[in-house]
Amino acid sequence: MIERLAIPNLGNYTVALAAMVTGMGAEPWWSTYTSDHAMALGIAAAPESVCLPFKAHLGHFIEADNAGVENALMVNSIGACRLNYYRGMLEETLKDMGRKIRIFGLGFDGFKPPVFRYFDPPLIPLLRTVFIGLEKIKAIDTIELKTAYTRAREVNTGETSLLMERCLRELSEINTKKAVRRFHKEMHKRFETIQIDKSRAPLRIGLIGEVSLLRDRQLNHNLEQILGHMGVEIKNFFLLGGEIGNNFGLSMGYKKNTAKYLAAVAKPYLESEVGGHARDSVAHTITCAQTGFDAMVHVCPTGCMPEVSIRPILRKISEDMDIPILPLSFDEHTCALGVATRVEAFLDILRSRRQRGVRGASGRRRA
Amino acid sequence: MRLGCLGIDVGSISTNVVLLDEDRNILFASYVRVSGSPIDSVKACMKELAGVMQDKKMEIGALCTTGSGRELIGAMMGADIVKNEISAHARAAIELHPDVRTIIEIGGQDSKVTIIEDGTVVDFAMNLVCAAGTGSFLDSQARRLDISIEELSRRSIRSTHPTAIAGRCTVFAESDMINKQQIGHAQEDILMGLCHALARNFIGNVARGKPLHAPVLLQGGVSANLGIVRAFEDLLGCKVIVPRHHMVMGAYGAALLAMEANVAKSRFRGAAIWTRRIHTRGIACGDCPNNCEIIDIIDTGEVVGRTGGRCGKW
Repeated sequence: MIERLAIPNLGNYTVALAAMVTGMGAEPWWSTYTSDHAMALGIAAAPESVCLPFKAHLGHFIEADNAGVENALMVNSIGACRLNYYRGMLEETLKDMGRKIRIFGLGFDGFKPPVFRYFDPPLIPLLRTVFIGLEKIKAIDTIELKTAYTRAREVNTGETSLLMERCLRELSEINTKKAVRRFHKEMHKRFETIQIDKSRAPLRIGLIGEVSLLRDRQLNHNLEQILGHMGVEIKNFFLLGGEIGNNFGLSMGYKKNTAKYLAAVAKPYLESEVGGHARDSVAHTITCAQTGFDAMVHVCPTGCMPEVSIRPILRKISEDMDIPILPLSFDEHTCALGVATRVEAFLDILRSRRQRGVRGASGRRRA
Repeated sequence: MRLGCLGIDVGSISTNVVLLDEDRNILFASYVRVSGSPIDSVKACMKELAGVMQDKKMEIGALCTTGSGRELIGAMMGADIVKNEISAHARAAIELHPDVRTIIEIGGQDSKVTIIEDGTVVDFAMNLVCAAGTGSFLDSQARRLDISIEELSRRSIRSTHPTAIAGRCTVFAESDMINKQQIGHAQEDILMGLCHALARNFIGNVARGKPLHAPVLLQGGVSANLGIVRAFEDLLGCKVIVPRHHMVMGAYGAALLAMEANVAKSRFRGAAIWTRRIHTRGIACGDCPNNCEIIDIIDTGEVVGRTGGRCGKW
């Protein structure tokens, strides 16, 4: 019997990761967001002060174990924050709970990582699924970008979100590279069928911060959709395709935001790496201020070391370059209403700025 | 018939209703405790309002709801606009004091600071999950001492040497107050110390380094507390203005926003709503992975509104 492999959730990109795992000779077990149930399990089992993504991952894997899944995959060895240790910590926590699920690292674990030694996949089919996965990642980048654009302008609220779900569902069932490519092309047209109001000039807001919060809608209380339905065009700066393209020098992704380039942009404010995507967040804020974005929303889990440490820096950029930044931190006590109230009040500020003609780097009047 | 504008602020502790005439005069203002049921508290207000509307021959031209219960009551009453309370409070403050630069708003569960430049909001901050330093804590302390909240206010300003109270967390603040009371500190000093602790907590944990320039307005239910007003004056070193309608500022702001919204025909369902039987029912929508909890608002057997949907389907 084929063993199952639970994969960490990375929002909509999980669809692509699942495709890659099939080449390993395992059946993927996945979800594009942490369920309420998984969240509750994770919160109960994790130490109270650990960050929200840890609780989400833990809950996800407990749920997998309950479903009889034998193996799980967790990122390790990337980023300079505690995420490095999360694979080991998850393993220990699950072991203490008497859970049987095995957790493999997905990162640099020597030339032949344990997960490959265990499943020992034949090379050619593995590569084939990896390429399908990469192709799917590109398609999901497109879905993300199209959704953000269309949702802010749609005439019938909710249409874009439904189409996005439908596209992801169909994409998850495709299993040849050629078909993914065809689907990718066709998708552009499908988003164009949604009736949009071109005369709108929506507020443009950049979303920066910690990856799980940016990508898991359970954790961020559906922030992208809330903003979209309020007529805001968001730009989520975590696009996996772009990320992979930049880190491995592959020709994919939409922007050439290489780590080197972002470091140079961030340099006047932050000279060193602080872990996670913190330095990128600083760079993106500077770029957005220069390119006329209305504002930024910075999301992070409560107590997130890298993102919290750049908060004062973001505040400084906000003052220097006159771009409002709404910091939102999330833990399991965060209530959706609180998020909505802050977001609404923030948008009121942005709209009044536009009315007064204050925008981007044009300089705020000071008393 | 004259057309008035109505603002309803449904907070955690109190429901406030304000009725404005065409010239922005307050014809009617009401402050009712929610006591766990926002719908009943609004009905109580509507009962009073119905009488006033009849006396003054008023009709409602526009309705705006605000506060944490804004969606529910907005759906129930047929609101023309639903607005967050930060914007509503700021609108009211600017109306009464056009030169205001800082608004400190402390309600039952929330405390917020709003920074204003040239009559527009430029920044705000809100307390996180912790309700330390809000009205509900003062309420519970008054209950512990078996005095009314008004009495707590009167006693605290009699203090001459406020006691130092640890205000970081209400649980610790309470232990510290009990400790100080057993040591023998005078009650008014402890109460004033508590006010100082709450104000300090606000400046440290809500305002978090935002510059608080005068003129400073203090509004929300807690602004009725003289001890808190004095504590803020001591800490900020400037006069703290408590505006005229400080208890109902949210509703006042909402009414002003309703007036400015250019509503052609209001969807207001009438003040007579208090005579009807209104209740809610929760249903789970399983049509997409959002799994929204939909709340139906039922008015004598008929569904009149829904809240909770995230996609627009309901």
